[in-house]
Amino acid sequence: MLGIVKSIGTTVRAAFRRPVTVQYPTEKKVLPHRSRGFPVLLWDFEKDEPFCTGCQVCARYCPVDCITVTMTDNPKHAQGRSKRKKIVDAFYLDYARCMRCDICVEVCNFDAIVMNNTWEGVELSRYDRTDLVMDKEELLRQHRTGKLGDPFREPMGVAHSGWNPHKEDEGDDAAEVAAQPQPPQPAKPTAAPPEANAEDPGAASEKSAEGGEG
Amino acid sequence: MLLAISSNPWLDALVRLGIVALLLPVGVIWLTWLERKVIGRLQQRLGPMRVGPYGLLQGIADTIKLITKEDVRPVTADRWVFELAPFVIVVPVIMALAALPFTAEILVRNMALGLFYIVAVTGLSIVGMVMAGWGSDNKYALLGAVRAGAQLISYEVPLILTAVAVAMLAQSMNLQAIVGAQHDTPFIAYQPLGFIVFSIATLAELYRQPFDIPVAESEVVGGATVEYSGIRWSMFQLGEFASLVLFSVLGSLIFLGGWTWPLDPDGLDGSIQALLMVVKVAMFIIFFMWMRGSLPRLRIDQLMALCWQVLLPFTLLQIMINGLVLAYDWPDWTLTALSGAGAAAMIFVVYQAARREGVPLAPSAGPQRVGSVL
Amino acid sequence: MARETLIPAERDLDTIDIDVNVGPQHPATHGVFRMVITVDGEVVRDLDPVIGYMHRGNEKLPENCDFRQVIGYHDRTDYLAQFNTEHCWVEAVEKLGGIVPTERSQYIRVILAELNRITSHLMFFGAFGTDAGLFGTSFMYAFRDREYVQEFFEEITGERMMYNYYRPGGVAWDVPENFKERCNQILDRIRSGISDLEGLMIGNEVVLARCRNLSPMTPEQAINWGLSGPLLRSTGLAHDIRRAEPYSIYDRFEFDIPTGTTGDVYDRLLVRLKEMTESIRIVEQALEKMPEGPIMAEGMKRILRVPAGEVYMRVESPRGEYGVYVVSTGVDKPYRHKVRGASFCNISALREMSVGHFVADVILILGSTDIVLCEVDR
Repeated sequence: MLGIVKSIGTTVRAAFRRPVTVQYPTEKKVLPHRSRGFPVLLWDFEKDEPFCTGCQVCARYCPVDCITVTMTDNPKHAQGRSKRKKIVDAFYLDYARCMRCDICVEVCNFDAIVMNNTWEGVELSRYDRTDLVMDKEELLRQHRTGKLGDPFREPMGVAHSGWNPHKEDEGDDAAEVAAQPQPPQPAKPTAAPPEANAEDPGAASEKSAEGGEG
Repeated sequence: MLLAISSNPWLDALVRLGIVALLLPVGVIWLTWLERKVIGRLQQRLGPMRVGPYGLLQGIADTIKLITKEDVRPVTADRWVFELAPFVIVVPVIMALAALPFTAEILVRNMALGLFYIVAVTGLSIVGMVMAGWGSDNKYALLGAVRAGAQLISYEVPLILTAVAVAMLAQSMNLQAIVGAQHDTPFIAYQPLGFIVFSIATLAELYRQPFDIPVAESEVVGGATVEYSGIRWSMFQLGEFASLVLFSVLGSLIFLGGWTWPLDPDGLDGSIQALLMVVKVAMFIIFFMWMRGSLPRLRIDQLMALCWQVLLPFTLLQIMINGLVLAYDWPDWTLTALSGAGAAAMIFVVYQAARREGVPLAPSAGPQRVGSVL
Repeated sequence: MARETLIPAERDLDTIDIDVNVGPQHPATHGVFRMVITVDGEVVRDLDPVIGYMHRGNEKLPENCDFRQVIGYHDRTDYLAQFNTEHCWVEAVEKLGGIVPTERSQYIRVILAELNRITSHLMFFGAFGTDAGLFGTSFMYAFRDREYVQEFFEEITGERMMYNYYRPGGVAWDVPENFKERCNQILDRIRSGISDLEGLMIGNEVVLARCRNLSPMTPEQAINWGLSGPLLRSTGLAHDIRRAEPYSIYDRFEFDIPTGTTGDVYDRLLVRLKEMTESIRIVEQALEKMPEGPIMAEGMKRILRVPAGEVYMRVESPRGEYGVYVVSTGVDKPYRHKVRGASFCNISALREMSVGHFVADVILILGSTDIVLCEVDR
């Protein structure tokens, strides 16, 4: 009976430990910085328009085809207030289909889409499934109202185009190049910043746009 | 001795029985909450916390939900057998509660053959389980019912024989007399073997781990009760928890000294008696719930082997020891010594049987692997 | 001593065998798996497994996806050991394309894959305890420890389950700076969790009585039926792909291969328990030796096209041999993508293992094969 006694002893010891239950929703655990919620769009507060230009790279790379994007001419560019020639016109992301694989964030040339690492990014109960198709306003809402906090913006390996939003001079050309479909490249390194591959991630992230992981 | 609620004995009995019938569902609801809390603590979690403070109203919420459910009955089910089965399980338990004294004064009726009556009446629940399994027209239910019938019939025997052993010591089957006979030492000190057998047999009677294969949740998904929903299913739960209360109180009365030990029986206040009983019954109930959360289940043939090859011989040994001590008027400590030796022997036998290597059999050929202690 | 049958199945009573449908919806079938068992009383005479309830086109749909999008499919094929399956796919692509991943990313891959093996085995113990009758206790202990590891994975990759983290050439992004401290904390918790589950289930007389000598298998039978993983090792054959055909950097680590003796259900439990301890050893060694450096190979293109060719890559997933066969024609999508799921091959032996045992035993045997239905049905 020793084995049974050992089992009973194990449960008794466990009974006197502190329970591990977190009483959601009155208490919520702290989500890690890199936590992946559903994607949201970012708002450029300086230029007062979305970062997204509607280039459709994310829609092309989405494995489940949940993104629909159209682009239009940017009226602010005609007025000389913004460097973006094109701007997103309609952006639909079906949260019911999205599998949070993070590929749209990886391939975005303008760092315009991030995964929502707050609780609003995952608390998405709806009564009707069609309410989960988010449009552009819904996707921009959280960042515009300042509730997004600090999204995860680590430069991501090879798929990142390397376009750095602070390099304003090169911004235009990189945006134009990236907006066109990529031609097949011969065997030579592409526009990915070679430093990001060779150095510590700490050094690379100092160069990246927002804070990101320190 | 009976605090008459009314001078008319029939009215008095009706009122008392009514009180029992009213308090029973409330007690069962509270016990379901307690079980979920205890098992939650064993699993390092909290249990119900939302409904009411610390989840105390969870049982009421469950009952409301169950009452408002649709009464589903399979079309091909044998109608009267299906619908009467829950009653055949619950009514004998309430009948048994009618003869069970909780303290010297909190009782319905005390009978001279109280112990005999209780163990006889609880045996009727087996019929209910088999009715439920047969009436459901479902192979899982049939499997569960057949297992339940086999298990319950088998484990009645050691249970009854341990009760007989206690009656031998107390020279009476009157439960109040049995409690009176334990005024200086409880019978657990004289009959450790009987106590262990009683606990194991009660676990089997209540379909609790490690003997819950008739209602195995992960195999036959509820066994005989799989087709029941709503208030009919909650009658099964009522029967199960009422049996839990019944056997816990019975065990406290016949082994742990009832409402008097360890205090002096004369001049004990009714409330102190009740408090002692509550403590002892709580010990039993917590023990049963603790076993439920800690042990996996035995297979049906291993369970039957345990009963017929281990529990029954040792129970008969216990009766023989009692008989010898009483007939030859040996001192009381011989009873403890012999019974303790019997208990140690039983534990040793089970230990050996479980750890025995056995002969590895070639799969899908040769004799089947049947549980056996020998 | 040989025991003659004590079951009155051979008497001349007129009995019929009934078919019990352990249906797709069942608490014990670990997914949507159906078995039609022909029982005589309580003894199983025949068993007919019915699969396909979870078929989702896991092999055909990646033909429309490029090599990064396919990683998500492998996450979902074995949803308990995602890092191992991603590892398999990513190594297959690297073999086809002649890409060499960086050192640091190799170490990260091994550490995460072994931690995932531990979580998968924890889940096995949880589910097996529930099958055996524990009222959820083993399940809660297992999930408490899995929760710690999943939080750790969330700190690294962002997801608790479908990580999509490995890439051909390395990993997607680097690990956080407190990786080593967190990893050591997690290992401590896992050790206490393993001792909890060990105390609860191993050596317990009831578990012994249920599982010992239940469906023993010989190594020849196991090889004939194509079993792999802990099922094969419990029969006594020390075959582990990490040792037999080392992939990634597994040849740099010292670890033992736990084996059983009779191949019965209890041996499978013991093998999985010891494998968890061996995985902890590997993680500790890898943590010590992990270098700094880049996490993605140089010269990787934005659109990955591999030269034409075919490759079969196999890894040791917690269930057995998980393999991927890729045929590429030079474009950025695979031409043919086939997955060899370990559970599919393990479950083909279910009838052989179960006939002659009791219904209650069949549930335990199924639990001990530790299947995930997505591997069986893909």
